Amino acid sequence: MISRLLIANRGEIAVRIARACRELGIEVVAVYSTSDRNSAVVGLADEAVHIGSPAPRCSYLHVPNIVEAALLTGADGIHPGYGFLSEDPDFAEICASEGLTFVGPPPDVMQQMGNKATARRLMADAGLPLLPGVVEPVRTVDEGREIAGRIGYPVIIKATAGGGGRGMTVVTAAADFEDAFVTTRATARAVFRDPSVYLERYLPHARHVEVQILCDAHGNGVYLGERDCSLQRRHQKLLEEGPAGHLSPRQRADLGRLAVRGALSVGYTGAGTMEFLVDESGSAFFMEMNARIQVEHPVTELLTGVDLVREQILVAGGRRLQVRQEDIAPRGAAIECRINAEDPTRGFAPAPARLDVLHVPDGPWTRFDTGYRQGDEVSPHYDSLLGKLVVWAPDRDQAIRRMDRALAEMRVEGPGVHTTIALHRALLRHPDVNADRHDVQFLDRRLPELLARAEAVAEGPAPDLPATSHGSLQLVQTPAGVDRPDPPAVAQ
Amino acid sequence: MSPSDFAQKAVISGTSDALAPEDRTVALREEVVELARALPGDLRRLSVRSGDRAIEVEWAPALGEDSLAPARTGPARRPDTAAEEPVGPVPDVPEGLTAVRAPLVGTFYVAPTPGTDPFVQVGDEVETGQTLAIVEAMKLMNPIVADGPGVVTEVRVGDAESVEFDQILLLLRPTGRPR
Repeated sequence: MISRLLIANRGEIAVRIARACRELGIEVVAVYSTSDRNSAVVGLADEAVHIGSPAPRCSYLHVPNIVEAALLTGADGIHPGYGFLSEDPDFAEICASEGLTFVGPPPDVMQQMGNKATARRLMADAGLPLLPGVVEPVRTVDEGREIAGRIGYPVIIKATAGGGGRGMTVVTAAADFEDAFVTTRATARAVFRDPSVYLERYLPHARHVEVQILCDAHGNGVYLGERDCSLQRRHQKLLEEGPAGHLSPRQRADLGRLAVRGALSVGYTGAGTMEFLVDESGSAFFMEMNARIQVEHPVTELLTGVDLVREQILVAGGRRLQVRQEDIAPRGAAIECRINAEDPTRGFAPAPARLDVLHVPDGPWTRFDTGYRQGDEVSPHYDSLLGKLVVWAPDRDQAIRRMDRALAEMRVEGPGVHTTIALHRALLRHPDVNADRHDVQFLDRRLPELLARAEAVAEGPAPDLPATSHGSLQLVQTPAGVDRPDPPAVAQ
Repeated sequence: MSPSDFAQKAVISGTSDALAPEDRTVALREEVVELARALPGDLRRLSVRSGDRAIEVEWAPALGEDSLAPARTGPARRPDTAAEEPVGPVPDVPEGLTAVRAPLVGTFYVAPTPGTDPFVQVGDEVETGQTLAIVEAMKLMNPIVADGPGVVTEVRVGDAESVEFDQILLLLRPTGRPR
């Protein structure tokens, strides 16, 4: 078991991990770059080590300094958080060779799942439905055009090494294929140092549904419900919620079982997410796996009551899962809004600034995960996530109203500060979001309208939300046939 | 670790693991008293925690050592004595001296191998490019070299101690043309 954990990350997730460690009685070693020297996690840690200058490659991506910091401070484990080194198999391997427990899957599994083409092949082998497309990288324009013609337009070209919503291009007609192919390969080479791309059918009105899983090193795995993350801007998630209310309890349970089966088939351990696209008929197709804790994990924590970071740390230490599938019953509805320091009216340009005022919302079932305190600077070197506002309520209507109330309480002020708060309030008021009939393109398609609504919300008294139904209280939707041993295919 | 004040600050933590809680408190108290007596300068600040057993001591620089030097406490603890230094993450370096800082996290060594003579000692004149010490990281020995000619006025870190990024290792009084 881990007794002293080094957190190789910063910001809200570093604080989140430090808190889990405190509750577990695990000592905390923080590492920080020069610009984070007075950050919240440094104050929470038992020991903190300065590992480099602000640029990530000199600090949070600098493997030797991080590993050396762990060895010098007597840490026996490393938690990579998300981003930075969290999905770097080499880093996981180095940790292992230095005798440090890496909180995450084994390096070879991480390697396999990090390559989207390999992951698709392995998940197809495990019986997960895939969108029509190819598993192997596509090397030439001609080959690609031929495949695209066969699977049918629109298609999406994706970098095999891609992630974080980058390196993807949608092609609607054969005439545009060549340009898109060349550009995507160039982007992939520049961003991921690997030009290989693959092709699959593009679903125009799909929902993004992802299943949270947790596996131990003894072959046990459970799913902890799903999250709908369809509100994205250019593949960057902005608002996440659970459960996916547009699916029936039965469809959701089937998806969960598929996700666990896929993860266990490759020997996955720890917390992870299987991402699916769901079409209008409710058929789900495997997209990719995230082999780490995700930004939006609190949604699942509020729905299930399971502390995912705690479980992740315990499982990494070799403990068997203590929770059985039948013990996990997602209750009510949860929503997370990413409060980013960026200006939606200027193409979501990052707006690093000093936070002269940071008034965090509070109240019943309202949680704000952040690594910032009033007076802190938001550094231009890192992502623009200020914090995650998460609420829980017995049903989706109440969760929307609670979130809106919390967003209205929140104040972030300072020279040059812009946030996504008003945009979130506009989103929650939009009839399509309210009725849960939006899709993954909704935000990009409706951005001008949403920005106008956001401005109105920011300036005057916000227009009322639709009246709630005041219906009966149903905390748990009981899936039919949960106990059946064999998962039927969700699609095909 | 606090980068700036190894010379005037000592931190002890995690001692006497094997003892019962009451004995630990007694042991801790004795350690504090002993430490305070052994200080080279006047006691300036003392903090003791018993939960996970930490002692932090700061003391004044010994007279004559470098009496012009400002108090060497970390930036967070420095009293607000107006603008005597530019604001920023610059730990105190006495005027006229240059700091040699750790370029990476690792273990500081004053000599090429244990038991051999140190690379440099206080008072030594050094040339550009001369090795002053080494910092070991990931089993690699990284030489710490002088950027310019100077005289070693202080070695701030003890042999085999851990250092973090940007921590001051040595101070040099530059000789030759001012930079």
